[in-house]
Amino acid sequence: MATPSLSTPTRRRKPLQLGGYLGLAVAIAIMILPLVWMFLAGFKERDEIYTVPIQWLPEAYDLSNYAAALAAVPFGSFFLNSTITTVIGAGLKLLLGLTTAYAVVFLEFPFKKFVFGLVIFALLVPQQIVMIPNFTLVASLGWINTYQGIIVPGLASAFGTFLFRQHFLTLPISILEAAALDGASHWTRLWRFIVPISAPTIAAVALVSIVSEWNEYLWPLLVVDRSDMMTLPVGLMLLQNNDGVTNWGVLMAGTVLVTVPVLIAFFALQKKIIAGLTAGGVTG
Amino acid sequence: MRTIEDLQRDTDSAVAVAAPNGAVGAPLTPAPPRTFTPRRKKKPWKSWLLFLLFAGPNVALLIVFTYKPLLQSLYYSTLQWNLGSASAIPVGLGNYVAWFTDPGTARVVTVTLIFTVATVGGGMVIGLVFAVLLNRKLHGRGAARTIVVAPYVLSGVAVGLLWLFVFDPNFGITAALLDAIGVASPPWYNDPHWALVMVIIVYLWKNVGYVALIYLAALQSVPRDLLEAASLDGASPVRAFRNIVLPLLGPTTFFLSITTLLSSLQSFDIIQAMTRGGPLEGTTTMMYQIYQEGFQAGRAGYSSAVATILFAVLLVVTLIQMKYVEKRVHY
Amino acid sequence: MTATPTFTINRRQILKLAAVFGATATLAACSGPSLGAGAGAASRAATDWTGIVPAKEITWWSNHPGTSKLIEQEIIKRFQAENPEITVTLVTAGANYDEIAQKFQAASGTNSVPDLVLASDVWWFRYMINGQVLPLDDLAKHLEFDTDDFNKTLYDDYTFTGNHWAIPYARSTPLFYYNKAVWAKAGLPDRAPKTWAEFDEWAPKIAADGGVTPLGLGKGASWAAWWFCNMLWGQGGAYSDEWTMTLDTPEAIAAADYLQSLIYERKVATVAAVDQVADFGAGLTGCIMGSTGSLTGILKAATFEVGTGFLPEGPEGQACPTGGTGVAIAADRTPEQQLAAGMFLKFLTNSENTAYFSSNTGYMPVRTSARDGETMTQVYAEFPQFRTAVDQLETTRSQDWGRVFVPNADKELTTALEKIMLQQTAPAEAFAVASTAIATSFDENVSPYL
Repeated sequence: MATPSLSTPTRRRKPLQLGGYLGLAVAIAIMILPLVWMFLAGFKERDEIYTVPIQWLPEAYDLSNYAAALAAVPFGSFFLNSTITTVIGAGLKLLLGLTTAYAVVFLEFPFKKFVFGLVIFALLVPQQIVMIPNFTLVASLGWINTYQGIIVPGLASAFGTFLFRQHFLTLPISILEAAALDGASHWTRLWRFIVPISAPTIAAVALVSIVSEWNEYLWPLLVVDRSDMMTLPVGLMLLQNNDGVTNWGVLMAGTVLVTVPVLIAFFALQKKIIAGLTAGGVTG
Repeated sequence: MRTIEDLQRDTDSAVAVAAPNGAVGAPLTPAPPRTFTPRRKKKPWKSWLLFLLFAGPNVALLIVFTYKPLLQSLYYSTLQWNLGSASAIPVGLGNYVAWFTDPGTARVVTVTLIFTVATVGGGMVIGLVFAVLLNRKLHGRGAARTIVVAPYVLSGVAVGLLWLFVFDPNFGITAALLDAIGVASPPWYNDPHWALVMVIIVYLWKNVGYVALIYLAALQSVPRDLLEAASLDGASPVRAFRNIVLPLLGPTTFFLSITTLLSSLQSFDIIQAMTRGGPLEGTTTMMYQIYQEGFQAGRAGYSSAVATILFAVLLVVTLIQMKYVEKRVHY
Repeated sequence: MTATPTFTINRRQILKLAAVFGATATLAACSGPSLGAGAGAASRAATDWTGIVPAKEITWWSNHPGTSKLIEQEIIKRFQAENPEITVTLVTAGANYDEIAQKFQAASGTNSVPDLVLASDVWWFRYMINGQVLPLDDLAKHLEFDTDDFNKTLYDDYTFTGNHWAIPYARSTPLFYYNKAVWAKAGLPDRAPKTWAEFDEWAPKIAADGGVTPLGLGKGASWAAWWFCNMLWGQGGAYSDEWTMTLDTPEAIAAADYLQSLIYERKVATVAAVDQVADFGAGLTGCIMGSTGSLTGILKAATFEVGTGFLPEGPEGQACPTGGTGVAIAADRTPEQQLAAGMFLKFLTNSENTAYFSSNTGYMPVRTSARDGETMTQVYAEFPQFRTAVDQLETTRSQDWGRVFVPNADKELTTALEKIMLQQTAPAEAFAVASTAIATSFDENVSPYL
């Protein structure tokens, strides 16, 4: 194991440096290799996949597996459904988190602590424990195969509320005092004063919510049963059983279709997303 | 700079979960209780009403979709109820008795324990190693950090499917790589123990970047001068790390132990995409069992009983974690 | 710098919250299923179908077995051309039979129940005891289904308490597939082994001269316990006699011993990791038992010539189970909707569409007239492998209740067989565990509803 660079004496720097690069290279290889393997498989014909020993590169980079995946299941609908549920779900969640945190920090209420405890305690309740009753409820509301059925049960914001509260507590009093003296209503104070200076935290929470909404699998699997209402993760699994024979080429092409947009978005927004993920663990 | 928090800090005789980014050496000094808003005492009910408007919808959603179902689940656990059937038979604690006396329960508990300990503990160790690596002044560490975190944002189903192919003992890369060094591919899919190892590896691959990221942020907040002082004292880097850095990471470790425990216990996607709990139920964790019994076997009552047991365990474990931290982590 | 965030919830607060929940737990008891013994299927009053007008819209849940979505859409198109007043909506409700069943059971009592639903061999009985599907005999008589033309085994698979609860649709059986190139190298006659004894003679030659593992076996739910019927019944054993498990009989043990010896003593069989069909197609194994539903897929995937044959016989003769799925009509719909669903079901399984579906997927023609008709005759000429599958149909029998009618039974049997195949567990031990679990599940989940 490499040791941290804690003001290392100069003579020891060289080998340590080398070890560091080696470690980094191994870590990157482990993280990247499976993804590369998936990309390559998406281009391979059946006989290039089912060979022993394995063949690393496909002979031709044609898109027939992608065509087959797109023909087998409606990826267009999956993509649209994922986008709609993610945008609405993450947006509302953000709003709920902001208003709840505002209330908890800035407003008077007799059972404030209890309310905040109620919100935070929800973090300890795993989704699977409430899924049967929630499913029964959603079904009786006629929400099976609807966007609200996918979105609403998971809408409440617990973690977001927690993070926003943490952040609000660090805001300088002067700004809020100025706002209060201005006579601005609480609603205005939230949107005109608090939100603008909290933009980094909001972006952070938003991106994390988007990632988790986008990847949500179990709940949409339960409440959606028509393929035109499925989200990407649920729809992708349809490919696995669509043929009598596992066709890795098509399956990997489908997996590429699901992962690549996320990877592109991640690399484009990596600074913000990483800041967001970090904010969950380290605030201040 | 005075902040709201300075005013409110005293009200929370609580446990710090999140890592204090710059908290080192700044011990808390309790401030006299003060609240911010009611400078000018207005009618309190107005504020109450506003509070309800602001926090009400969120709390209502939590009550309807988290707390009420939690109680319903408790009630369902006392029924013999086939999902899809309009009627059910009350059986009292029958489902609990059935679970505790089922010969398969020991295996499910063992699998859950191994999976949880390996993913939480293993994740923290590997994540810390990665973080230490990424914290060194090496070229390309920014890119490396991004790459290490990338799998964390991918869908668990997609990750499971792609690794399913990576691990294929005939046509996958692990087989080819192991073959290159003259080792036969382990029976990932045919041996319950190897299958469990496999899903743990995949889980770690997907999630370890997050742990590394959090540790990295904490490492970066360790003051340089503290380390320099240690180095002047002649402490070796390893000792400096163990004696100075690790204790400072305590709160971060505690935060990660809770969050990764919660997400590990809820993990479903990877198991569903790769093994569906098999072979020989070697990858059936309690969480997977809840799904399997409830929605595949349709034993909604039994499934609810398992869910209740799991929740109780989770609650106790979290309480112990908090108690431990109250005693051990001071800052 | 003063940034010390705190997570402001402590143990006392959590305990307080927990206490509040405990106190109000009883409140939750006012929702959910009603209490009492099972409603049961038989308690439903029979509908008088004369004078009922079919509904205008019906929904059909399918997972399109054998990649048949386009075929199913085409049949719907044909139906609507004949019956313009009824619109049929085809819904992909899952990737496999289990997912469809999961959705169908969960949707019970809501307005998202479909009119028609696939009901596979391991699921239709669950639907029935939950009271979710309609007994079809009266409706079939009213609509003149010509049920006598159905293959008798396939139709009677759905019989219980004197009623039929589904109509056969995408029905399959296991089939023996072999690699002709390997057979030639090993100097074997170009046919499947007639008996397992003959396979035993051939296996060493396949391994030595063919250069591959002779037999590939599949594991996993809904699969292992299906093809094992062949070995089990071939030895004169069975999973159960009606509701009594019979896995402790010498015949059942002998069947499992034989299976185990193929893998561990003679080392002529291997258990596939992910997909035994893909391994076979890649030339890793010399032969497999696969589903007839995979026929077209295998012919497409394999780079060598594929031969097919009957499953090998055991000491007690030929033994082959039926499988696949039928279509059922939901009980929880109006008579109008059920009538329209019945009309579509009749159309879907008429002679012409049966042949059309069969010829495009590889599933069995469920009607005698379709089996012997022109469409299928052409298919047999082009793919003689298909003919084998259809001929074998005559030798099939319905499955044991102990596997297909008890919740979790297939899972328990799969686990037992996986123990036997993968861990060399003594068959008696593995079967005993499964039998106990299935008997418990029967007492809990089935007998109260009968």
